[in-house]
Amino acid sequence: MRRWGYRHIITPLVEAMDVLDLGLGVEQRRRLFKFTDGRGDVVALVGERTVPVARLVAGKLRTTALPLRLCYAGPVVSTEESRFQHRRETYQVGAELIGASGPVADAEVIALAARCMEATGIRRYQIDVGHAEFFHGIMDAVRLPDDVKAAVRTALGARDFVGLETLLEDTPLRSAEHELLLRFPALRGGLEILDAAGGLVRNERSERALAQLREVYGLLTEHGIGDVVILDLGAIRDFDYYTGVIFEGYGPDLGRPVTQGGRYDGLLARFGREAPATGFVVQLDLVSEMLTRGARPPELPRVDAAIAWRGATGLRTALRVGSTLRLFGMRAVVDTESRTPAAARTWWDAVGAANLVHCTDSSAVTWSARGERARRLPPEQVAARLAGGIA
Amino acid sequence: MVSIAIPTGVLLEGARGLLDSSGLAELGEEELGRQLLVERGRVRVIIVRPADVPAYVDHGAADLGIVGKDILWETPGSHYELVDLRFGGCRLVLAVPNASALDGPRTWPPLIRVATKYPRTASAWFEARGQAVEIVRLHGSVELAPQVGLVDGIVDLTATGRTLRENGLRVTAVLGNSTARLIANQASLKTRTASVQSVVSKLREASNHAAP
Repeated sequence: MRRWGYRHIITPLVEAMDVLDLGLGVEQRRRLFKFTDGRGDVVALVGERTVPVARLVAGKLRTTALPLRLCYAGPVVSTEESRFQHRRETYQVGAELIGASGPVADAEVIALAARCMEATGIRRYQIDVGHAEFFHGIMDAVRLPDDVKAAVRTALGARDFVGLETLLEDTPLRSAEHELLLRFPALRGGLEILDAAGGLVRNERSERALAQLREVYGLLTEHGIGDVVILDLGAIRDFDYYTGVIFEGYGPDLGRPVTQGGRYDGLLARFGREAPATGFVVQLDLVSEMLTRGARPPELPRVDAAIAWRGATGLRTALRVGSTLRLFGMRAVVDTESRTPAAARTWWDAVGAANLVHCTDSSAVTWSARGERARRLPPEQVAARLAGGIA
Repeated sequence: MVSIAIPTGVLLEGARGLLDSSGLAELGEEELGRQLLVERGRVRVIIVRPADVPAYVDHGAADLGIVGKDILWETPGSHYELVDLRFGGCRLVLAVPNASALDGPRTWPPLIRVATKYPRTASAWFEARGQAVEIVRLHGSVELAPQVGLVDGIVDLTATGRTLRENGLRVTAVLGNSTARLIANQASLKTRTASVQSVVSKLREASNHAAP
């Protein structure tokens, strides 16, 4: 993210509830772990970091010129166990572009999200791009009593299309917008889906959203990720929060999105510094689950040298060889107990290192590499050869 | 390969019939009794406990699931509820002993005690009506609870009402109607749209034909 000019910032894990109240919806507040500090003020462990970033931009960084490109990484927690795959805690990496609006900014953040997913080692992925305003426009245009509209929002939020159908069946007025709502999960594809939807919507908000999506899609092709982008007009997200282009990244064989993001132009104003903003998070836990699924447990870090010793002089030499090797950037483990050469070889296997150095006196040590005959050399020479061979 | 989780119990026969009539997979009754995982052509059928279907689907272990709406009331998740399959119809009702004075909301005591296997749905329903409720969560033979004075009434699923009648209970309110639903994993719908949607439309069509 540094290569894209995003500055790394650190926001605290504990935030004052007053601050979080400004930025979070009722549901999100409910999911926070809350407790009181020494003064009796309610504080909470953050469940996401966009709100803390907004606080920072409107507070400490209020004199810094916009646009700001910021990124962060850290744990977030939730009281709702199902939220992060039955863990209360997950690790998120995120980025926010604050103070820039328009398709160019939207495309930059989506492209950055794509490169982040690549950087984690996911080989196949796809990014679904939608637009919150497309939905808002439909809801404006669709002719329904207010209470039914509220129920439609609830049903869509719960992804309950059976309930949605029942709701819309009972209303006498049917329009193209009705059909669009019912076909929400199927409104996906390439540019052709924009044409298809454009032929059905008759309201300015949705039409503007479609035009923006077309532009963003074009820019993403220029960014070189056109082939992983799918337009998803039926993306269902927190529509009270997002105000523009929204997106989700999916990897193979995982039931949930690993990346989520979008434009939230309303948030900064709540902290007293009105500014457009867009950003995303990558759930690193999910990524690692995806990468290790079905595979053997994570490998232990490679160790370059196992250093065994015997006697007090041997220990002194071993410690010296160990520090020298580490100076050369190698991973060296010095044994905790005195061992005979035979016992040292057994220990070597347990450590799984590439080399064994057995130290018994200060002038010469026994060096064995895997598959090679052991040699007796001065410690300095062994260190130099090891360093040379690995460098 | 598209995987479908189907529930054991009362909906199993209906799910089997639907898979059969949609041409997706013909499964023998005996086969289902023996195996919990059957592969047929491009479909893998996973047989799990009814309450576990949403978990299999939400986590992506199954692309699709067939499950009663009653289960979905209790375990909302990130899945898409796509089709009302229209079999396995039953009602979630509030039932009280025949001799009880409880009837409509006006007759409810300030705090009503209710036994149920559906604590979430029941408490939400009472709360929406401004009624304080104490939920006693039971796992089976809920009908017994009011007879031994544990609770004022029960919230339970009934298809024919027979069990309720046999236990001296009468229905005073219907909380909801449940049928079998087809649910889908969100990522499956998005990353393997074509193959998953084709199975969805086959099931939708078959359920439309089967419906009276």
